[in-house]
Amino acid sequence: MCVLCGELVMNVHWTDQPLHDSEYRRKTRIVAGEGQRTRRRMRIKRVAVANKILSYYGLKLQDWNGSKYILSDKKGVSGVVNSLGDMWKIASDMCRRTLDPLDENFLQALGKAHG
Amino acid sequence: MDNRKAITIVTGFLGSGKTTVLARVLGDERFKNTAAIINEFGEAGLDHRLIRRIEERTRLLSGGCICCNMRDDLINALKEILNGYERGEFALDRVVIETTGLADPAPILFSILMDPLLTNRYFVANIVCCLDAANGELHLKNNPESLKQIAAADTIIITKTDLVEKEIVTRMRERLNRLNPAAKIFQAANGKINPEIIFGDGQNRMEKIYRRENFSEMKHADDIHSLSIKFYDALDWISFGLWMSMLLYAHGEKMLRIKGMVDVGDDGPIVINGVQHIIHPPHHLEDWNGEERNSQIVFIMKGLDPRRVIESLIAFQKILGSAPVIEEVTSNPY
Repeated sequence: MCVLCGELVMNVHWTDQPLHDSEYRRKTRIVAGEGQRTRRRMRIKRVAVANKILSYYGLKLQDWNGSKYILSDKKGVSGVVNSLGDMWKIASDMCRRTLDPLDENFLQALGKAHG
Repeated sequence: MDNRKAITIVTGFLGSGKTTVLARVLGDERFKNTAAIINEFGEAGLDHRLIRRIEERTRLLSGGCICCNMRDDLINALKEILNGYERGEFALDRVVIETTGLADPAPILFSILMDPLLTNRYFVANIVCCLDAANGELHLKNNPESLKQIAAADTIIITKTDLVEKEIVTRMRERLNRLNPAAKIFQAANGKINPEIIFGDGQNRMEKIYRRENFSEMKHADDIHSLSIKFYDALDWISFGLWMSMLLYAHGEKMLRIKGMVDVGDDGPIVINGVQHIIHPPHHLEDWNGEERNSQIVFIMKGLDPRRVIESLIAFQKILGSAPVIEEVTSNPY
């Protein structure tokens, strides 16, 4: 359950899965807050990289308290994003077209900006 | 100890010898604590303590994508097995699921990974696909379902090899390898096979591919193609996750399979494995097992031009941290 909004989060998206999961499951003692630094760092990085992609579509992603993300466009519309699993869907709905990493125009723009 | 139990999924077309292979391996003393879930009683018949028979029952979810359906029958059977084990009624090391001949393995994976209880108590260790040496090629030509089963497999077993000439098996192996370069291929005469092949961890390591083929032999873009890509520099895992989730959002239904080992600059690679939209939890291996460090990813796609995937990876190279090198592109040989 998300403590911010009471929403049930039933599944962890694969990009949020801890990579050392099997190691973690073998542990008999777990220190509270362990791994939080890495998790927060990953989220900040993810937001930075996602914005490189999203800027082509006029969208912007922000981290919200290390728990959710907020996706907003330039007209002031915004939405809450749980994970990358629903981000692409919400982003596509917001700009009314499918965000496609194979789209030539998008790739050209990306190549120019970050190539 | 990891408290999750391994699941092996055995697929294969009708009459491909799934039950014969299972009957053999379940008879092995080392694997006696295996629970079996079967969809139909084949002619071969299984003689095993822990067998549960289920009627295929699918809950259609809104959204309508074929691979994202819940198999309620399977979820219940897996929960019952778990309950019995927790009550101490029997010992349990692993579960094997035998599907019907026509089953698509994707909803099975989806059900296990998306169920909040099951995903923490089970993991899918291996997807095995049986193919009959005598009739298998015919099935692959005529039934798109069996092509999907091969694409989703970690391990392919060619059965009934005692019934055909050796050359036919050799040719079949070669063709199957083109269809799914990420799978390990074994053969079994009369169901004789080392049980470790079935119950082993098919996910863990991937065979390295050392071949080169070019796009010239591509038939047409609508067909099934497999694309193997290498990256010689470490990839950024966060960026890779973004690219891949974006790709799957837009083209998930066309991606029959993704399997690979990704070098993120750590001591060992991260294994990724996915069937259509469904990605197994990626996991980190401790070392490279003496192999050279580089990322290798196999994509099997249907109705998508592999060149577009390459172009996308090239445009993303600065973000990802490494440029893609094409290892091999093959078309469906059937």
